[in-house]
Amino acid sequence: MKSISPRSRALLSRTLAALLGGYALTCASVIFLGAVLPLPKSQAILAASLTSFAVYTAVIVWAFATPNLTRIWRVLLIASLALTGAGLLLGGDA
Amino acid sequence: MSKVQSGAAEGGFRQAMAWLHTWGGLWACWVLFVIFLTGSLGVFDEPITRWMKPHLPQASEATGDTRMGDGFDRPQAVRMARTWFEENQPDAHFWGIGLPSDEDPSIRLFWQDPQENFHNARIDASTGNPVDGSRERDSEGGHHFVHMHFEFHGGTAGIWFVGAFTMAMLVALVSGIVIHKRIFKDFFTFRPGKGQRSWLDAHNALSVLSLPFQLMIAYTGLATFYALYMPAGIAAHYDSEEAYFADLLAQPAAQEITGIAAPLAAFDGMLLHAEQQLQRPASFVSIEHPNDSSASVRVFGRFIEKPGEYRLLGDGGGRVFFNGVTGEQSDVQMPGELRGGAAQDVQSVMANLHFAAFGGHLVRWLYFISGLAGAAMLATGALLFMVKRRQRSLNEFGSATPRVYRVIEVLNVGTLTGLTIACVAFFWGNRLLPLGIADRPEWEIAVFFAVWLLSVVHAGLRPVARAWVEQLLALAALCLLLPLLNWLTVGDQLFSYLQRGDGERAGVELVALGTGVLSLWGAWRLTRPRRAPAAGRQRAAAAQARS
Repeated sequence: MKSISPRSRALLSRTLAALLGGYALTCASVIFLGAVLPLPKSQAILAASLTSFAVYTAVIVWAFATPNLTRIWRVLLIASLALTGAGLLLGGDA
Repeated sequence: MSKVQSGAAEGGFRQAMAWLHTWGGLWACWVLFVIFLTGSLGVFDEPITRWMKPHLPQASEATGDTRMGDGFDRPQAVRMARTWFEENQPDAHFWGIGLPSDEDPSIRLFWQDPQENFHNARIDASTGNPVDGSRERDSEGGHHFVHMHFEFHGGTAGIWFVGAFTMAMLVALVSGIVIHKRIFKDFFTFRPGKGQRSWLDAHNALSVLSLPFQLMIAYTGLATFYALYMPAGIAAHYDSEEAYFADLLAQPAAQEITGIAAPLAAFDGMLLHAEQQLQRPASFVSIEHPNDSSASVRVFGRFIEKPGEYRLLGDGGGRVFFNGVTGEQSDVQMPGELRGGAAQDVQSVMANLHFAAFGGHLVRWLYFISGLAGAAMLATGALLFMVKRRQRSLNEFGSATPRVYRVIEVLNVGTLTGLTIACVAFFWGNRLLPLGIADRPEWEIAVFFAVWLLSVVHAGLRPVARAWVEQLLALAALCLLLPLLNWLTVGDQLFSYLQRGDGERAGVELVALGTGVLSLWGAWRLTRPRRAPAAGRQRAAAAQARS
């Protein structure tokens, strides 16, 4: 077996960013929206969860349309951490 | 690293989406085809179950009797069920009792053992003894297709598997819309007999025509399992999923098992009290933690479908909650009462949309046809990928390209015709497997998987053009002979069903016959002498791809 080419490595990195990074960001969006939507908490979480599949789709499409890989990873990481942190702080009880 | 060319995210947005649609769509298309074909069949799970279980009565016109006295002694049924459970499954964590009705006059028992595995059994409503199934055609029936559709018979892992591919479907739909410049023009474009162009036209026309359905069915499928797929919000803001649902639906919170033994209150008293409250017969009784001091009992009212009146929301049969030890009512949700606010209403509507739980036969047929259009969209997409490359290899995988193409061809045959053959073989297995053998339903499913595997092996051993024709002919034979097989084994067939007005069972055989005729036509199209020069070139390229 020959070693993995830079081309394949870039594609692997992009796919992982889209699928795993995208899922992390989507979870973060649910945690955040569950805390801030102006509904009773359980309903806010449900509304955020139902929306999440559209969020995930959009993030995957974005990850496969943005040329700069480093930027994709950076945005995914920062946005996931920021939304999760804000959601937990505002949620109050976690 | 970001400057490295990988084919992804190159060129403009539309070009990037074309790459995503081609490659994202390719790896997902076979599994999605399975999900769509079995899901379409699953729309008719009850008619299929009735065909597979000839001992069941014909479907009655009015389902869901509203009368309390419908001929079944439900208080006696819950007493019998309890006796059976106390004698056979005293340590189970959960008991469920499906009460007798026109649909199934026996008592259905469900339980979850201390290892959290689910089991079921049936007892006779008049004697309380286990139903002797040795002379009945024991079968999973149409539920087999439903289970393939949402979990590939793989439990929670299977549900995740299907969910991942459904996300791929959403991404493929969105990227497909982006690359489609002429969405309305293609609506009316079909150029048959022109090779690659015809496949593209077919793919576009099918996709555009059924696009609203495909988006709806993929999204609502994910929404049905939102608590499993997206548990982050619940996990971040609640101690447990049970606590979340109790809060959302304003229901008594689930209790932990205490380990303190406590006898259950009388079931028949709770049943009669619940039926009085709900003003309708009960359909199901569930008992959490039987004989523990944390025991709770729920009695569910019967779902009553009113012919000609369909709603997407608020058709529930209602339920009454009891403290299992004292027998006191702890909550009641009346039939049609909505809880959980607008968000829960949206989720319920999404689930009902996905399950075609509205609109009766007309909507089920529309779902069946739209689902098959989705399967055909996936099939034409998969074929198009190879038709394009049979004429001129695009060399995407360097020296491995011919081998990769060969694998794709084999998967195309093994999935598109192979799975369809396996679905029909499931019906054959139902009629041919001996009655009374242990685990008969599992054997039927084994037949399904074995025939599917054989089809894939066959596709791998034969030249691709021959494999298509042979599998189409096998499919045609299995479909067209199904009524004959039924007549030889059970003594019923299409005409006797039609005579009795049994539209459900007749429908199963009519769909089989239609599929058989279509497959014959397909085989004839593939084998007739071709005049177009393109055909010869295609065959040469196919031969080259095989070598």
